[in-house]
Amino acid sequence: MSDESNELARTTGHRLEELEKGLFTSDLSVNEFLLIKEVGYHPLGFVMGSSIYHTGIQTRKWGQSQELTKLTEAMYNARELAMTRMEDEAAQLGADGVVGVRLDVNYYEWGKDAAEFIAVGTAVKAEDGVSRLNKLGKPFTSDLSGQDFWTLLQTGYAPQGLVMGTCVYHIAHRGLAQAIQSTGQNLELPNFTQALYEARELAMTRMQDEATQLGASGIVGVRLEEKTHQWGSHTIEFLSLGTAVTKTSNDVTLAKPITIISLDN
Amino acid sequence: MTTVSTEVHPPGESGSFSSGLSVADFAACLDMGLEPVGLAQGYCVMQSQQGLSPMQVGFGMSPYQPAPNDYVENYHCPHGIVSTEHRMWGQNYQQAWIERTWRQGFSSAYKRMLDEATRMGAHGVIGVVDNVTPLAQEGIVEFRILGTAVRVSGHSSNAAPWTTYLAGQRLAKSFEAGFAPLNIVTAISSVRVWASCITQYVMEGTGAMLYGQSNDSIEIEQIVSARAAARELLRQSVKAQLHGDQLHSVELVLREHEFGHGDLEIQPVLRGNRVRRYKDFDAFTTPRPTVRLT
Repeated sequence: MSDESNELARTTGHRLEELEKGLFTSDLSVNEFLLIKEVGYHPLGFVMGSSIYHTGIQTRKWGQSQELTKLTEAMYNARELAMTRMEDEAAQLGADGVVGVRLDVNYYEWGKDAAEFIAVGTAVKAEDGVSRLNKLGKPFTSDLSGQDFWTLLQTGYAPQGLVMGTCVYHIAHRGLAQAIQSTGQNLELPNFTQALYEARELAMTRMQDEATQLGASGIVGVRLEEKTHQWGSHTIEFLSLGTAVTKTSNDVTLAKPITIISLDN
Repeated sequence: MTTVSTEVHPPGESGSFSSGLSVADFAACLDMGLEPVGLAQGYCVMQSQQGLSPMQVGFGMSPYQPAPNDYVENYHCPHGIVSTEHRMWGQNYQQAWIERTWRQGFSSAYKRMLDEATRMGAHGVIGVVDNVTPLAQEGIVEFRILGTAVRVSGHSSNAAPWTTYLAGQRLAKSFEAGFAPLNIVTAISSVRVWASCITQYVMEGTGAMLYGQSNDSIEIEQIVSARAAARELLRQSVKAQLHGDQLHSVELVLREHEFGHGDLEIQPVLRGNRVRRYKDFDAFTTPRPTVRLT
């Protein structure tokens, strides 16, 4: 992390000092807290990281579908900064991981072309004292809820990190001749289909590359989100997110589900 | 189907899998002996023209003439009034071109998802999700289908993958009850309604006054008929896809879109899972009554 981001992290000192003394904060529900304790973890504190990022000038061709690399880089770096700052807070608390991570983007009226990227989650530590840091020596991150975290560990898998891939893509406008030619017809627009395929594939490939760097054997809970942010309908960010997992035990016996009748409502 | 290359990055080749399953569904998947191999996806962008209203098609003078086997019902004004403000006719008719566009978009996207799953060596695709989303310009829609490709542990695959909307415990229960998934079944029908004068008055709430009835509640015959026809068209479409097998876990959504005064489209969409019995039913254990603490 750069000196600048270290400086930012230092401003959180007082809040983290209190957490280091034993007081913990978390956004876990009571059930999530219970389940995280049940699998041998203890919440250390609510951690966060943020970054206000200004996106540079990005040119695009009206009639050409293409990746907008400057915007892709901006969206990627800003999220990475927010995540790194959150991981640094967790590391400062001596955490093994962060659960329930949420990544949000906010826009403000005062900042044209600027956006705030925020990462928040609950830092947790294994109670048996055995390190659960990931392959990169950092606390693992995951967007899993407490219930999902518990269930995942029962399957013999452990989270390694919240992985993501992004691609900002400009979808070409159709020319007047093309529009007139297809007026009144229902037909596939292969150029559009191809462009969207490529954009999603790029996002997913980048996500899978992150998982590979973590030595993960899989990614669970993959979501493909699409947002136009403030760029107009032809410029779309494709964001692929999921939790990279590795198999930690082959000796797993999953509990047989029981049939229940809920007496609620 | 137009050829669209999906070779940018064939999923499942990097050694790690990706899956759109929730952790609970992932756990149930492993418990059933299914290994996720990757997220399979298919897309198709279509230009989709809604079409003109019956009034525009007939230039206000006569009802629309659909193809010979398509559904159509004409309604004539019983009052004998000739006026630009009074509708002399009304009509319900099947919008077959919308159904064809939908089928083409859906089947192209579905085929592409199956191709990806086949390339991954999958036996099936579970937890399928599909939707249709407007894209960028007016009249352009994207058909999207995603699912998690799975392999039966320790077996190779040489047949086309089966597909199901189910995942997790719902899929496990289906297997336990003796049913194996074959493929997802999706159907749509579209009926356009151009209200006749009577339908229009009744829809506006002036029907009782017009007919001198004291009771305000009147059946709107034309709309009832259009809805029944839309459902019947849907049923026929589904039946043609089942080939004698059973349909489970059906979800029926009825959409209604009003384009203008007395001009609406009734569009039911059905999603279900075509299944076939592969073993006798094993009785479930007696359910345990529970109260959740949430």
